[in-house]
Amino acid sequence: MPESFRMYVGKRVLYLLVTIFLILSFNFLLFRVMPGDITKMRGVDPSTGTMMREYYGLNSSLPAQYVHFLEQTLTGHLGVSLSYRKGSEVSSILGPPLMNTLILVGSGTIISIAAGIYLGRLTAWHRGKSVDKIGSGFFLIFYCMPTFLFALVLLQMFAIYVPNWPVRGATSPDYDSFNTVGQLEDRILHTLLPLFALVIESVASFSIIVRSSLIDVMTEEYMVTAVAKGLNSRKILRDHAMPNAMLPVVTVVAMNVGWILSGSIMIEVIFSYQGLGYLTYKAVLGYDYPLLQAAFMLEAVAVVLANFIADLMLFKLDPRVKL
Amino acid sequence: MSEKGAGKIGISRLVSDTRKEKVRLLVKSARHIWRDFRKNRSGMFGLTVLIVFAAMAVFAPILATYKDPSALTWARVNPIYHPPSGQFLFGTDSHGRDVYSLTIWGSRASLIVGLVASLISIVLGTSIGLVSGYYGKVSDEVLMRFTDFFLVIPWFPLMIVFSMVMGKTFLNVIIVIGITSWPSTSRIVRSQVLSVKEKAFVERARAVGSGNGRIISRHILPNVFPLIFANTVLLVANSIFSESFLDFFGFGDLRVISWGTMLENAYSAGAFSSSAWWWILFPGASIVLLIMAFYLIGDALDDVMNPKLRRR
Repeated sequence: MPESFRMYVGKRVLYLLVTIFLILSFNFLLFRVMPGDITKMRGVDPSTGTMMREYYGLNSSLPAQYVHFLEQTLTGHLGVSLSYRKGSEVSSILGPPLMNTLILVGSGTIISIAAGIYLGRLTAWHRGKSVDKIGSGFFLIFYCMPTFLFALVLLQMFAIYVPNWPVRGATSPDYDSFNTVGQLEDRILHTLLPLFALVIESVASFSIIVRSSLIDVMTEEYMVTAVAKGLNSRKILRDHAMPNAMLPVVTVVAMNVGWILSGSIMIEVIFSYQGLGYLTYKAVLGYDYPLLQAAFMLEAVAVVLANFIADLMLFKLDPRVKL
Repeated sequence: MSEKGAGKIGISRLVSDTRKEKVRLLVKSARHIWRDFRKNRSGMFGLTVLIVFAAMAVFAPILATYKDPSALTWARVNPIYHPPSGQFLFGTDSHGRDVYSLTIWGSRASLIVGLVASLISIVLGTSIGLVSGYYGKVSDEVLMRFTDFFLVIPWFPLMIVFSMVMGKTFLNVIIVIGITSWPSTSRIVRSQVLSVKEKAFVERARAVGSGNGRIISRHILPNVFPLIFANTVLLVANSIFSESFLDFFGFGDLRVISWGTMLENAYSAGAFSSSAWWWILFPGASIVLLIMAFYLIGDALDDVMNPKLRRR
């Protein structure tokens, strides 16, 4: 087993590297075909233009530019922001938004998975009863509701009925002047609404997956055997049904990381939560290609890494997974 | 068959008979599917909702109070924020536009994008899945890495970037959604092809000299089809989802009336603080209902066409 696990990890790492390489190349190509010429942008005088051409190596051939791009990216030189924070290194801008997004998406994913498993199990176990009917109805509505719709209703509701609630931003403007407790409180208050909007959507989809996966498992022969053996239902659910039902769940959750991230972008934009998604949006509006490129790359790599971890987990959970 | 004609049966006669037989079988299986589908209550609910929306889109010029969508401009001709009434069924927005007419016309954008984008995505996904599953080896490895790449990349930033590259037109919205949503289809098709191509009838077809093209079109595709059919309906739901996102965030075609754009307008105008709930409720509920309709139909079709173990 350890031997095959090592093999498996090796193969996955290889795929991971290939995918990241593809992302980098894709990133390079995409931004070469984007409309516009950064050196001819408003506010860029000719001398800066020449400097930029030099800096980005725009005078050389495409393959040479590509090599240059890879070199720069891998050494952490992501270019200079053109609009969001003019003139500062992109890599120095990315830190705080990345942190904010990690807080939002990280806690959102954990809460959604826990709640999704709980609710999915509850509704599957009481299939056809009123708990299931009401629960499934709710899941369905929120599953079919575009993320931004719920977020914007939530935002506007709070803005009107709870005027003192901080509905905008990840932190208060004077966040740095608070002490540690104040900072924590401030952050929690600011994160609560976007987190709720994010969680409600992913809980709905996770619950649906857990529920249908469990219901599938419950039709298996070994479930009948377990009942026939006279095991109590709690034990059947815990030891026989859940472990098998979890396999598709892990796969789907991993595939959903991209979704959650996409959902979080919308939520960040609506709540002006200064995360990576909000940064992406701002970069798009300002035609800030270096920033957009870096943010896009970071998002893509994050999702790829999440999938990689899920693959490893799946291997541990399911002995049948083949190389 | 009568005695007289028996000697004269030529190849053409036989072929036309097999054709007829095929059609008969197709009609029969369609009838079976419909019989099972009709029993599925949530599927029928979805179908009903879909028919209502489709009727809305087709008969928009008759149903809408404003027969001409170009009359729904920013020019203020009506009272603004007029609550729903006899004259303005769903009220008016911040520029006095009739929300009822906007909602009716908006159904066209969602349905067209949903259907055409899914078609693009199905064609792409199916061909990539077929090639990679059928030919295997290097093409499989390359195509699947390619698919994985598109599968894991966060689709929303990708869409934003694509729509920036291609420009904000209605056609581009459709294309962007089409080319970002095919990977799941190609995965499903591939795995189905892998199991079908090992079946005895494929081997038999090859033994009698059928070429790859014929095997794929006559033997593999018909067996893959039921699986992607239900998936297609779900894809439509996803495409409508994506269309509303792009429109809401201003990456769609602003000249086209759509529910996403309506919601964006309502959001930036602060509809709630003017307590204009109708401006959000009607387009919002329409999106949710239409997506739900496709989702329920897709789910029901999946149950009917790919029956798992009978529920105990």
